[in-house]
Amino acid sequence: MTPIPQIPVSTSRWARDWAEWVRGWWQIIHVGAQILVLALSPSSYRKSQRAVMARNLYMATAPLLPGFTLLSALISLIIIRIVVATTLSYGLSQYALELLIRTLVLELLPLSVALFVAVRYTMPQGKDVRDMRLRGDFETLWRAGGDPARDELLPRVGAGVFAVVLLAAVSCFVALVLTYLNVYGFRTWGFAGYTRSVGQVFSPVVVLIFCLKTIFFSLAVSLIPIVFTPRVDQGDFKGMNAEIKVLARLFAVILLIEVVSLVGNYY
Amino acid sequence: MDSSTQSPPPVANLELKARLLILLLVLLLLGSVVYVLVARGAFERTQQVVLVADDSEGVVVGMDLTFSGFPIGRVGRIELSDDGNARILVDVPRKDAHWLRTSSVFTMESGLVGGTRIRAFSGVLSDPLLPDGAVRRVLRGDAKAEIPLMVASVRELVSNLSSMTGPDAPLSGSLRNVQTATEKLNGPGGGLGLLFGNDADARKIITTLDRTNALLTKLDGLTLKADGLATKTDVLISNADRQVFGPSGVLGDAQATVIQLNGLLADARTSLKKVDAVLLEAQAIGANTREATTDLSALRAEVEGSLRKVEHLVNEINRKWPFARDTELKLP
Repeated sequence: MTPIPQIPVSTSRWARDWAEWVRGWWQIIHVGAQILVLALSPSSYRKSQRAVMARNLYMATAPLLPGFTLLSALISLIIIRIVVATTLSYGLSQYALELLIRTLVLELLPLSVALFVAVRYTMPQGKDVRDMRLRGDFETLWRAGGDPARDELLPRVGAGVFAVVLLAAVSCFVALVLTYLNVYGFRTWGFAGYTRSVGQVFSPVVVLIFCLKTIFFSLAVSLIPIVFTPRVDQGDFKGMNAEIKVLARLFAVILLIEVVSLVGNYY
Repeated sequence: MDSSTQSPPPVANLELKARLLILLLVLLLLGSVVYVLVARGAFERTQQVVLVADDSEGVVVGMDLTFSGFPIGRVGRIELSDDGNARILVDVPRKDAHWLRTSSVFTMESGLVGGTRIRAFSGVLSDPLLPDGAVRRVLRGDAKAEIPLMVASVRELVSNLSSMTGPDAPLSGSLRNVQTATEKLNGPGGGLGLLFGNDADARKIITTLDRTNALLTKLDGLTLKADGLATKTDVLISNADRQVFGPSGVLGDAQATVIQLNGLLADARTSLKKVDAVLLEAQAIGANTREATTDLSALRAEVEGSLRKVEHLVNEINRKWPFARDTELKLP
């Protein structure tokens, strides 16, 4: 990877903080671009790489899938009951389906998935990567003829992206099924009307924003914890350790993506 | 390096499991795409209805056209026509198009809660089907548009109320008069004093009432006398009843007379029948007499004929006979 230029010591503290902040984000974007290029390169999917990719993919998804599906189903069920009961009591039940699809499927579940995958998989993996870098394992690998970005980072980032997308798809599917069952029960007569309501919510713009949001969530969750930034990993940032700093940065990015998607959907 | 120094435990059939996870993701994504396309009506055969409105506010692409509360179509496009009206192009699936007839009416309503709704009403379902691409005017009802008018009316009402309840308003004067009237009601003259304005007139009314009471007492006496007269009339009528309708009353005698008259009439009827028989016999005798009279005429004619012949014979004898007399008259 290209070394990051050092900031001169003579610079003021405010300017140094600002420069480090910019340098950190630039590092993330730079590594993200490298990973993207590697992901699109056929050489990254050689047989020797495939096993590593498969392992990361499995380890990122399989342990999380049952627990998160159960948890999301439980939370969805509670929210569905609250929304259905409230709209019924106010005589606004015709808006219940749209409200549920918009709140659960479009907003809450992708956000929960991103945070869940970050806490359970990508942040521990990011710590491992940063430790490897600090120990000098990347240089060793480089000298041995390997590529740390291709061999270590790409499988982790790919697995993180895959986990977010798969868990989001599964949880949204479960939420849609639970919504139908809560509103119509175990009967099929309401399926056409329900499908129509779903279709009304998922306009082309909403689908596009939903897909982009999920992809950006997955990229943020996979990249930010893994990328080494001097401000986070070396500096003593108000006494916080690196994990908290990464989580704060990740949370800020996720929040920003969510706000932008809300603006796109409702303005 | 962690991954090399502390290698994680191996996973059985790792590649297969990874492939299954990828397959699951692909299936979910493909299923979602197909489901959303179906939900958006991408695979439905549709026909188009063009609704023309003077204002398309609240109408969005994808909103439903409902019939009896059921969605039967959705807005596909909204455009501005050359004459300045909004053209709302509604796609109606062929399977639901039979609900729309040539006589169907379309309305667009904006309630206080919720968005705009487009509804179709088909009163006569036996009318011809609405053709594809038909253009219909949509009737618009906007509850929100009524709010400014309502606010203006309320403001006018409040203004009127203020002018009515002001210190110099007629209503205040009326209320003061009511208070004065109430005070008079509670005074010695009471309600009559309030009605006539002074006590003298009120006293006159009381005197009139007293006289009316006396008159009513006299009327009571007259009524009692009339009652006595009525009692006597009742007795008289009962006596007359007894005389006429009693066991030895006039009516019994009249009934006996009538019975006797009936007997007399029966006798008279028998006598008349006998007279009829006599008349019949007389008619028969008359007929016989008529026949006899006819025969007599013939006989008479014959007798007369015979007599003439005899006379002629006598004349002939007299003429031929020598001692015939000269019957001839010779004039000198």
